Amino acid sequence: MGSVREYFSNIANGLGSTVKGMGVTLRHFTSEPPITVQYPRETKPIPPTYRGLHILEQDKCIDCHLCAKACPVDCIEIEATHHGRTLDWHKFTIDYKKCIFCEFCIPPCPVDCIHMTSEFELATDDPNGMVEDLLTWTGLRPEDQAKLEGKAGGKGAGAAEAKPAAPAGGGDVRSRVAAMLAKKKAEKEG
Amino acid sequence: MEPLLAFFSEQFGLTGVLALSLAYAVCIGSLLGFITVYAMFAIWMERKVAAHIQVRFGPMEVGGWHGWAQSPADALKLLFKEDIIPSGANKLLFWIAPAVVFCGVFAGFVAIPFAAGVQIADLDLGIFFIVAIASIEVVGVIMAGWSSNSKYSLFGAVREAAQVVSYELPAATALLAPILLVGSFRLGDFNTWQAEHGWLIVANPFMWIAALIYFIASLAGCKRAPFDLPEAESELVSGFHTEYSGMRFSFFGLEEYVSMFLVAAVMSTLFFGGYTLPFNLLDIGNLPAPLHLLGVAVLVVKVFAVIFVQMWLRWTLPRMRVDQVMSMGYKYLLPWALFAVAGTAVWHVGMGG
Repeated sequence: MGSVREYFSNIANGLGSTVKGMGVTLRHFTSEPPITVQYPRETKPIPPTYRGLHILEQDKCIDCHLCAKACPVDCIEIEATHHGRTLDWHKFTIDYKKCIFCEFCIPPCPVDCIHMTSEFELATDDPNGMVEDLLTWTGLRPEDQAKLEGKAGGKGAGAAEAKPAAPAGGGDVRSRVAAMLAKKKAEKEG
Repeated sequence: MEPLLAFFSEQFGLTGVLALSLAYAVCIGSLLGFITVYAMFAIWMERKVAAHIQVRFGPMEVGGWHGWAQSPADALKLLFKEDIIPSGANKLLFWIAPAVVFCGVFAGFVAIPFAAGVQIADLDLGIFFIVAIASIEVVGVIMAGWSSNSKYSLFGAVREAAQVVSYELPAATALLAPILLVGSFRLGDFNTWQAEHGWLIVANPFMWIAALIYFIASLAGCKRAPFDLPEAESELVSGFHTEYSGMRFSFFGLEEYVSMFLVAAVMSTLFFGGYTLPFNLLDIGNLPAPLHLLGVAVLVVKVFAVIFVQMWLRWTLPRMRVDQVMSMGYKYLLPWALFAVAGTAVWHVGMGG
């Protein structure tokens, strides 16, 4: 008798569990809206503490190299000429081929000028394009030049050799971060 | 077919071989066109059903509105892909296997009555013909698996061969119950009978068992989950069509959806009134000729309802084991199919039918 009972309970179990399962899938099909997002067009909010691309507030930076020293993979390279406190910028690059997004470069900064943004779309088909220059200008800005010339007038040293300011040749990743930050700022203000 | 021949002889005075071949060309062409459009829609529908059951969107990009052009785009891509024949493959068998698989299912459409008069051949053994011709597909699957020179393909083919013996029997036996009641193998007779007496599935308390068993067995016939053992992608890469690529591969995919339509059409015709409406609300069979096409719409709606349940079930249940399929076929489906046939017979003799 046991096997007969087993036979019929198998049928009941099979049909019952199938109906139950189909009920679950039907509920998902009809009443649960998709939880995925159409990514390139819409994104989920990214937490503000997300560690993405860096951004540099160049006018604050004092070229102290503390961030570069803190970096465990040595991906930051900074070059600038000091004219007293005025800086003639050459480069401030981060090699994103090396960067591990550990955020160790952020806390040592004495003037709080380097930050990480929530920009995460780093994919590129050009491996050489992975070295990003964070500078917004190279050389000297007109106001820096004016400052130097004021000093030079007193000391008589040649500030004329300083190059005029030029926009930095950063990749489009940097400009994207800048645009994103500008947008964020506008949102904050607006 | 006959109305078409009459039309040709009346309008153009065509008779004999020329008219016959022209009529064949029209039938095959329209059927192929219909099947292609249907298969593309069904594949898109399958992806959408699967996606929404899994609480996601599915294809959304191609074509704009909910990715409607995804299937044509895929078909175009497959058309242009390289047709690779593996070294060591039996070229002839490898080459004709997709055609055999597709033709077996395609030929089944010959006997399907889409509406009164909209039928290529009104065979007097229509159901028998469909059950028999659809089995040719299995030969193609075994040819594909054996000729591929791949262990995975061969395993898929062996599984299909093992599966076919366990589902064909209950499927054909379950179909005997409505045949017993209507007293005919001709598919058109089922429509007229049901227009008169109501749907066969409620004709007696045993008929739903036959319908359920035919539905389950027909899932195995289409190689769909939970009976997709021959292509079991988690175990056998993709089973018997592992080595196929490009257009030949797409024929296997096409075949799956076409056979879904075929079994759903058989099921709709035999159990759910075919192209007639319930309670014969609209006597489609006796309407003037152009309105017969309404019957096509009714049948297609019913077919898509069955196909939706097939998809729904596919995304609900996990794949069965080989031994589970065997015991399902022999220990559960076959005895209950016989029970349904016997019950139908006893019921209608007892009721004085």
